[in-house]
Amino acid sequence: MAKELTSKSYIDHHLTNLTCGKTESVGWTCDHNYYDEMGFMAFHVDSITISILLGVAFVALFKLIKLNPADQKPTRMQNFVEMCVEFVNENIKSIFGSTDNKLIGPLALTVLIWVFFMNLMDLIPVDFLPELTKQVSYASGIVDDPNDAYFKFVPTTDPNITLGMALGVFILTIFYSIKIKGLGGFVAELTLHPFGKFAIPFNFALEIMQLLAKPLSLGLRLFGNLYAGEMIFILIALLMFFQSAVFGVLGLGLHLLWALFHILVVSLQAFIFMVLTILYLSMAHETGDH
Amino acid sequence: MNINATLISQALIFAVFVYICYKYIWPPILSTMEERENKMAAGLEAAKQADDSLEEAKLTYEKELKEAKEEAANIVEKANKRSSQILNDAKVKAEAEAEKIIESGSKKLENEANKTREELKQQLSSIVVETASKIIDEEIDEKKHENIIKKAAEEI
Repeated sequence: MAKELTSKSYIDHHLTNLTCGKTESVGWTCDHNYYDEMGFMAFHVDSITISILLGVAFVALFKLIKLNPADQKPTRMQNFVEMCVEFVNENIKSIFGSTDNKLIGPLALTVLIWVFFMNLMDLIPVDFLPELTKQVSYASGIVDDPNDAYFKFVPTTDPNITLGMALGVFILTIFYSIKIKGLGGFVAELTLHPFGKFAIPFNFALEIMQLLAKPLSLGLRLFGNLYAGEMIFILIALLMFFQSAVFGVLGLGLHLLWALFHILVVSLQAFIFMVLTILYLSMAHETGDH
Repeated sequence: MNINATLISQALIFAVFVYICYKYIWPPILSTMEERENKMAAGLEAAKQADDSLEEAKLTYEKELKEAKEEAANIVEKANKRSSQILNDAKVKAEAEAEKIIESGSKKLENEANKTREELKQQLSSIVVETASKIIDEEIDEKKHENIIKKAAEEI
């Protein structure tokens, strides 16, 4: 029995992930009706799949291109790849000064390209992949109602994805803080600023908030920007409910305009995520007093 | 849209991709770039050196050209001097030769004239004798009057 298509159900459908998780009553399931029962043990299969695919695309793009040796003319793709590496290196140099940290370069490059690819998914028209999933899963009998088949195809509009990456950066920040300053130095940094040793609890409360705010803002900034962008696309798509040619053309025009503008957001947010990643790591390397 | 295990798995996937990039993607690209940078730096350095040596070669070339020109001018001047000298010598020699030829010519002429004169004297004396004998109808003894004839001839 198909539910009636309303603007609310349309939006809800677009904002729901394909989720598989463990429930008390039926064990492992991918049925969205048990979503609330899954609790923490749930995986957004769509976000994870797309992000892995895009990660593989990144690796393939940068690994499979032919690297001509230095005494030959570089290939076109090689120029592109080297341009990316150069860009990342320049940013690292401008933030870090100079560093012998071998991880920061690959980390920043991965963040830049991967996040950019994930953001880029936002430019695929909003209904293409969800509708395709609906039709395929209905036709293959996985679901009885096509509207029960969910597929959210922009990984960065899923806070789990952005916060997951932010968590990775956070762990690296902690790791390098302790590695560079020693455990004592790290603890001292958390407790002895800004008011000296007589206000340790207060200092700690302040500093731990500052510390935790970094990954949280890093992940939520990316999520917020992309989620809002996706939302606008969905809202523009709602113009189709008027069933009129005028609104159809209007919707098309708005889609085009927003997509053009969104190219900026897509690349800018990837860039910002990379710069902040480098910045947080460079702060972890700072040994001087604040 | 709850926070759930997706977050943990994404963090792990992130770590895996960063590791792949760190291990397999970043080093070859960076080393190629560095190698090319070094090669270009070496090339530029070589070009600069070539430029310098070109400049040096130009200077040497100009200096040598100048020297060669000076030498050539010297040689020409010397040659000119020598040729005028040779010309002068030849002139002097030719003049002397001409004088000599003229002198010998005039001497010869004089000799010839003297000879002719002598002959004429001889002939004249015989003509005089003949004429005189005809006039006085008498044979003049040439031997007798030889002195007279001679004197007469000399007076002519």
